[in-house]
Amino acid sequence: MEIGLSRRRFLKGSVALSVFGGVTLTGPEVLALGKTVNADKPASYSVPTLCEMCVNKCALIADVQDGIVKKLNPNPLFPKSKNMLCARGVAGIHALYDPDRLKTPLIRVGERGDGKYIKATWEEAFEYIKTKMVKILDEEKDNRSCIGYCAGEGMAEHTFKSFMADKFGSANFLNHASLCLQTATAGYALTLGAYGQADLENAKYVIMAGANRAEAIVTPDTMDIFKRTRGRGTKLVTVDPRYTNTAMHADLHVPIKPGTDLSFVLALTYVVISEALYNKVYVKNNFNDFDKYQQHILDNEYTPEWAENITGVSADTIRTIARDFMAAAPQAVYYQGRRSTWAKNDFQLRRAMALFTALGGGVDVKGGIVFGDKLPLENHDINTPLYFNAESRIEGDAAAIVGASGSWVAWRNMVESGETPYPIRGMFVYKQNPMLSIPDTSRTRKMFEKMDLVVVIDTMPSDTALLADVILPECSYLEREDPVRSFPGIEPAIGLRQKVIEPMYDSKPVMDIMRGLSKKLSKPLWEVTKKHDEDVQDELEGEDELAYYKENGFDLTEPYLHSQEELNKHAFVGKHGEAAWKTLRKTGVYYPDMDTSFKKINNNDYQYYPQHKKVYSVLPIEDKTDINILANDFYKSCDPCENPADIAPLKRTFKTPSKKIECYLGNMARKGVDPMPTWKQDEHVDVPAGKFKFITGRHAQQTQNATQNNVMLLELMRENFAWINDAQAKTLGIAHGDTIEISSRVGSVQIKAYPTPKIVPDTIFYVHGFGAKSDGQTFAHRNGASDNEIIEGNIEPVYGASIMHETLVTVKKV
Amino acid sequence: MNYAMALDYQSCINCKACEVACKEENGVQLGADKQRIWVGMVEGSNEGKPFVNLYPSQCNHCIDAPCVSVCPTNASHYIAGGIIKVNADQCILCKGCMEACPYDARFIDDTKVAVDKCTFCEHQIAETGTTACQATCPTKVRTFGDLDDPNSDLVKLLEKRRFFFQKEEIGTLPKLFYLVPEDEAYAKQSIGPNTKIHTWDEIKPLYERAAKRRSQEWK
Repeated sequence: MEIGLSRRRFLKGSVALSVFGGVTLTGPEVLALGKTVNADKPASYSVPTLCEMCVNKCALIADVQDGIVKKLNPNPLFPKSKNMLCARGVAGIHALYDPDRLKTPLIRVGERGDGKYIKATWEEAFEYIKTKMVKILDEEKDNRSCIGYCAGEGMAEHTFKSFMADKFGSANFLNHASLCLQTATAGYALTLGAYGQADLENAKYVIMAGANRAEAIVTPDTMDIFKRTRGRGTKLVTVDPRYTNTAMHADLHVPIKPGTDLSFVLALTYVVISEALYNKVYVKNNFNDFDKYQQHILDNEYTPEWAENITGVSADTIRTIARDFMAAAPQAVYYQGRRSTWAKNDFQLRRAMALFTALGGGVDVKGGIVFGDKLPLENHDINTPLYFNAESRIEGDAAAIVGASGSWVAWRNMVESGETPYPIRGMFVYKQNPMLSIPDTSRTRKMFEKMDLVVVIDTMPSDTALLADVILPECSYLEREDPVRSFPGIEPAIGLRQKVIEPMYDSKPVMDIMRGLSKKLSKPLWEVTKKHDEDVQDELEGEDELAYYKENGFDLTEPYLHSQEELNKHAFVGKHGEAAWKTLRKTGVYYPDMDTSFKKINNNDYQYYPQHKKVYSVLPIEDKTDINILANDFYKSCDPCENPADIAPLKRTFKTPSKKIECYLGNMARKGVDPMPTWKQDEHVDVPAGKFKFITGRHAQQTQNATQNNVMLLELMRENFAWINDAQAKTLGIAHGDTIEISSRVGSVQIKAYPTPKIVPDTIFYVHGFGAKSDGQTFAHRNGASDNEIIEGNIEPVYGASIMHETLVTVKKV
Repeated sequence: MNYAMALDYQSCINCKACEVACKEENGVQLGADKQRIWVGMVEGSNEGKPFVNLYPSQCNHCIDAPCVSVCPTNASHYIAGGIIKVNADQCILCKGCMEACPYDARFIDDTKVAVDKCTFCEHQIAETGTTACQATCPTKVRTFGDLDDPNSDLVKLLEKRRFFFQKEEIGTLPKLFYLVPEDEAYAKQSIGPNTKIHTWDEIKPLYERAAKRRSQEWK
């Protein structure tokens, strides 16, 4: 135990501890806490709820005995997670009972980063935040955007955001999107009208490039495809610099040089266009500017031979894949993937992938990319105040389109280098750990060090929490109710995260934290607004101040007057009724006619929606003759869901500006972005002799850096290893388990080596998430290495998404 | 009753949900080497192309189990349905069973000061008809059931699919039925050339006779 102050002062009652030593309860004490708070419940009970160990939100049933959560089992009722719970989901108990959990509010007493905090009450913590916020906002003349905020993905993200954006009024919001799937979702949405879902239960041919569904589990995709691979209904082609657990299941694995996927897709497209293999009726009916795209592909001579030189994939292989794909189309998908941005051309890559699938007609068709349906919920309107002095986000010009979730790396770079149009004085961090999740860690640290107020809301003492002035302990997902959620898809459903046990220690759900914070801040911040906001001053003249304050949304407490349980009931009952609400509460899951259509087939398989009620083709059909084809009689006589090829050529109304699939983005051209996917050789990062390209990724036993202290999961993988091509390792004298040093322009790490034929030459890989430095995380502390210590902080030009796979590194044996 | 399990190992993605569910359900001691079940992994390369075979595995609950016959204190014993358990109170940690087991399915649980192993989750069979590992699996590799019940999911599956055993030649009559992959190339890649392939019709008499012979011990 490290005591921050002298023993004498400690005894006087100033209990200043290193947060992370000493205050930890041991196992039996932890369990006892859980026990005492549930006096009004029966000794043993079960609660259906939703997992939060990763983004999928699988349905589970928590078994509780004597107030202790004993086991988490899959809830078979939920069509999205289909009666399964993965290793992380089952190990959620150890997130709840993690001895290192944040237990009380903490206020920093030492230097930023040295880990010395004093325990505080919620009142003291809120008071501290209020004092600093009032001072900062007064100095910044009520420019609300001088306080940034960021959130990790989760069901309570919106609750946090509604306070910071809608009520407090800061424009500087950042979340995982620009570190994750921003370019993929945008590329598909601008091309097809939506990102969609790959129907892997019915696809006959799937190209998974980079996506790794065996190790980065996505529901229901993971469960759907791996029961159908290799001779069981679908041909799976993996395209990846690594031979992953997904590649293991592929009919064909294609090793590719990192950063060259766009060249590969363009060559596939060339084959399909030059050999006229595409679905001509579908393209005629549904493509906009196809002639331009055709011309573009042919004129640029994106031939398989051209791509072979760039990608390392043989021209013959490219031809075979293109032909086989179109032979299986429209039940053929170039899988969208989620992943991070790989190279500078990532947006163009995703567009090319979307267009390639569409050329086969496999969009809005069973077995292709489908859009599914979503069950409605009532919205809750928030009375949003207008702050005249609140500026727009700082990094809006960093890329062609900076969306509502920002460009994390551009934002960080600007704050760290002091190149912001107005000062960024502080940040609220909810459930995100920028110190491990953003490339170039040392710059992230410097950014936080510059701030006057850093508030971290989390369950665990992360590396980022160590840089906070105030740490607010959120309770885990098993201790709270979250906003009810509608899950779109082929089999849409609504799921409810319900509280399993009362919050342990002095932790609270975000809803309660925002309630307390808004109560504390509302009036003092109103005074700041009155002082500096000329619009408000003008409008207030002759008005009743309290009435104006409430009517115009300046009362920050208003969205948090009701409990989450009340809000959920309101959101649900208006659309689905009281009886359905009772079902949802009892089972954790609801969809129409669940009581009759949900059927157990055997211990492994269940029916959710009957086949004829599954939602495959949803876009309105434009052509009149087509409507006749789709009339009820036709459904009865010849179910188009059973014959995707029949329905594919129909003319649809896509949710794009032209209502068709967009080959050419004129608006983008005006912003200096290529209107069609184009390979730029000069932008491609080649690997010079003696160097390697660094790539990162995921695995199925941890979720990013969030679960690293989970003792159960650590058993499955204690540390990460650096993959290096075995032949190259041999020439460098590197053997399995040797410690190697990997260095880039921005940092250097030491990690153990894993020489293997499973990775292409000139490439180094290790999984993301390891290498936490916070000594508050007893078990995660310094296991392996963090990828973002060495990845350079660069962005792609369209959305400002962080480029993850262009950093060059050197490797040496230590 | 004769409990057994079929494994459609081709579907395994090595996510290890089964290992964690087993530990949570059964309170197995923490520790990477303390596993009642595991995913066996064979890596190699064929004409320069890498391949990986995964064999999810656990105790085979052999009908002629050497771990039971070798135990000097009767700590290792059969219960109903032919499930093999260890009575921790009677275990003297001589480790004879660990040596005798062809599958390395046993380990020492230091919290129990006894040898520990898979129990097919016998405490929940009556209630759920399944095991924790089967229930949690994303790709549904496992099918647990009763070989004596022609209507069980297990027997229906074995009637449809061919299968093999691991280390069948030792003659312990193991009860993990590894289903032959439907894809020929995958089958060739993952099944040794000397491994015998069986059908349920063909092997059923052998297993039924053996079960009958041993079943007076199954209580």
